[in-house]
Amino acid sequence: MKNSIKTVIMVLLAVFITIGGTTSCKSKKQLAKEAAEAEYKSRVEQAVKDLNAILDDETLWTLEEKEARVQTIKDWNLQNAEVDDLLFQVEKKLARERAQKEEEERNKNEQQETQAMNVTLESSFNSIARAGSLSQSNRIINETLGLFESKNVPVLIIINQSAGFNDYDRPTTIENYLNYIKDQKKATEKVYDIKYNANGKINELELIKK
Amino acid sequence: MKKILATFAIVLCFVGTALAQDELSFERKQAIDSLALEKVRDLSKYIKIAGSKDTPFSEANRVIDRAEELFMSDAEIGVSSLSSNQITYYRVRKYFEHLMRLNYDRVEIEWYNIEYVSDLQRQPDGTYVGVITIFQTFRGYDAEGNLVYKDTTKKDITVYVKRKETQIGGRTIGFWDVLLGDMRVKETTNR
Repeated sequence: MKNSIKTVIMVLLAVFITIGGTTSCKSKKQLAKEAAEAEYKSRVEQAVKDLNAILDDETLWTLEEKEARVQTIKDWNLQNAEVDDLLFQVEKKLARERAQKEEEERNKNEQQETQAMNVTLESSFNSIARAGSLSQSNRIINETLGLFESKNVPVLIIINQSAGFNDYDRPTTIENYLNYIKDQKKATEKVYDIKYNANGKINELELIKK
Repeated sequence: MKKILATFAIVLCFVGTALAQDELSFERKQAIDSLALEKVRDLSKYIKIAGSKDTPFSEANRVIDRAEELFMSDAEIGVSSLSSNQITYYRVRKYFEHLMRLNYDRVEIEWYNIEYVSDLQRQPDGTYVGVITIFQTFRGYDAEGNLVYKDTTKKDITVYVKRKETQIGGRTIGFWDVLLGDMRVKETTNR
């Protein structure tokens, strides 16, 4: 009798343990699934919110921050039609912004380079005009000519601007212009425009009377 | 009658527009006035450089080339002397060669009071013509540095300014071409 009771208890225990374990496993999987679904939903909501904000220019993010955000959203691989549509639009928008930014940077660099060249040239003109000797002015002229494609590069001098119209003096060459400064001992023009060849040498110079 | 009046009005419009295009604004006219004066001042510097005994021959020749470019091809420059009533006229290059050969150890040439005696006036062919007067003081020194000759000459220079066009870098550039004509001696004194 005692043995029967023991056996019954053992069987009951085994049944309880088996049933209990099975129930616990099922609940963990369920929880994980629910958590994953919640996270997915949250990411979709976040992605939609962020992408709309980028599209509507409602963020204070820099272009780089916006690009990083888009990359994060793409890495989530949400496979959601709304998110994919927004991603397509945002990527197009950011590509435009990137192109514009690069264009602005290029222009800024060109402006800085032009500004630097203007300063270099005007400084050379002044140095030639103020040179203490013929040999000194000739040395500066030769150095300055090194910036040009050839000594025959045309130099245009604007004598007057009115109603969007330029009046020019007779065109000369850079060699003659630099010698003119040497002869006249005066540099009365400033740089107005510079054109370069593919090798970065000046192939046209436009000056304007100060 | 209406047709005649309308035609007349259209013709007037065209003539008016053409005249307006020919007329330079005050600002543009002032710019070419200044440009012509500047060319005369440039010439004075070239004369000074070429006349200086310190100027190397190659530099003097280069300067003469530049000076020649300032003048019309047939222009002449008058030269006078206190010792003679005769005025000799030289072509530009000959004038400079004569200047370089002067028998002094050192010469000083100064131009001053450079101004218009006759403003630039538009001619029927579109050329603007004016006369600029200058005063030139010439001083010649001997080897000891003594002043051996001095005179002051008043000279009149005719200036021609014409609008021309040229192609540069694939675009048409309109420019004002200033050319100097004859430089006539008006008066020479020992002042």
